Amino acid sequence: MTYARDPGLPHQKLDEETIVIDPRTREVHLFNDTAGRIWELLASPRSVDDLTAALADEYEAPSDEVRASVEETLGWLRDKGLLAGRGAG
Amino acid sequence: MGTEAPLCADTAVIAPPSGLAIVGHLQRQAYLQTIPLNASLELTLRCNLRCLHCYNFDRDTDGPACGSDGALAPELSLDEICRVLGELREAGTLFLALTGGEVLSAPHLFPVMDRARELGFAVQLLSNGTMLRPGVAARLAGYRNLTGVSISVYGATPEVHDGITQVRGSWRRTWAGADRLRAQGIAVRMKVIVMRANAHEVGAMRGMAEARGLSTAVDVNITARNDGTSGSVATRATEEQLVELYRGALADLAPKTGHVVDEASFPCNCARGNCAISSRGDVQPCISVPWVAGNIRRQPFAEIWRSSPVFQQIRGFKMADYPKCAPCPDKAFCSRDRSAAYNASGRYTGNDPFVCSVAGIARKVVEERAAAAAVSSTACPG
Repeated sequence: MTYARDPGLPHQKLDEETIVIDPRTREVHLFNDTAGRIWELLASPRSVDDLTAALADEYEAPSDEVRASVEETLGWLRDKGLLAGRGAG
Repeated sequence: MGTEAPLCADTAVIAPPSGLAIVGHLQRQAYLQTIPLNASLELTLRCNLRCLHCYNFDRDTDGPACGSDGALAPELSLDEICRVLGELREAGTLFLALTGGEVLSAPHLFPVMDRARELGFAVQLLSNGTMLRPGVAARLAGYRNLTGVSISVYGATPEVHDGITQVRGSWRRTWAGADRLRAQGIAVRMKVIVMRANAHEVGAMRGMAEARGLSTAVDVNITARNDGTSGSVATRATEEQLVELYRGALADLAPKTGHVVDEASFPCNCARGNCAISSRGDVQPCISVPWVAGNIRRQPFAEIWRSSPVFQQIRGFKMADYPKCAPCPDKAFCSRDRSAAYNASGRYTGNDPFVCSVAGIARKVVEERAAAAAVSSTACPG
């Protein structure tokens, strides 16, 4: 299963923060550095394994901790309707 | 710097209060770091209406006689617009206001919308609403990045509105367009333009919008035109009308109390977090301030933004550089509208006596209200 962000959503990174706007729900989301990096990686389809490996390498953090964080973030993004489709593959 | 970055109404994203706090945070960062977070892009000067107050040019003529370089260059092509969209995004623009003329009469509107969506812009359209036919409204609803449409309205009755637009049937089509957007779930803001001919209908216009669940914005500052003509200012509301409006239909918009305007809070967002590009590629601090900083046909946007003498000058202005404004006791009640000032005086740091009088009226009404409240408080038993 792979995940990608909804390509139609306006977003902007400024310093360590990323803002994502969902005009349909009129919600504005502010992501921290890690969630913002996941959003950035989701510009193209990624699996949980892909995301975990990339973040564990970049942040030099244990894979099991990173995986939990990735899964939590993906769940939140899915619940908010910010992902494309329902995932693929 | 205060807690809020100054915002221009036309580029403020249409968002609920919870979202506005985050947007405000982002605006503040952009202002401090001089990032053009907000950009207005004028796609065309074409318009299907002939509004008496239009700031573009005298709509009873064929159009502006010349552009900033002395000749009248053609409007930007789709390729040029797409190129500058990429440059704006690269420079940090998120909020993109597409305007005109009438934006829906722009030949490239939907290809531009497509490109803006690909690039991740949050897009707002500024329109007169009359061309929002059912198919158009449905098509706009397909854009996930469209934050809303701001529609200008000039009357609560067809007689008044159509008298200002000089086009019969425009009032009906404007409100029908707003209704179609609303039915599609698109956020709509009705922009009530206050004029001598419609001052008596301002409350009714706001009421019509609110009854439909639409938000409103109000603008009293009719400016001289970008083509140098000033016939538009004859349409301004009178002082008597404005006093009556601030006491009545616009009472909620008059400041509750005068706030302190200091060196940090005085400047507007022009050339700091806001810029504009005209239909012929001129880069300006704001779409209604035709002080040209450069042209995207001759220079990359980023270079103009970073090093244009016009933008450098604006960023360097201190409050003392505004000779009428700095000592003015009414500045806490004033819009400090730079487009009105520039078009009236020819100087960014100049002033427009009309704007000054509006500030004086706001101050008078606020002081009356405070005095009445004091009397009421004194008379209250216990």
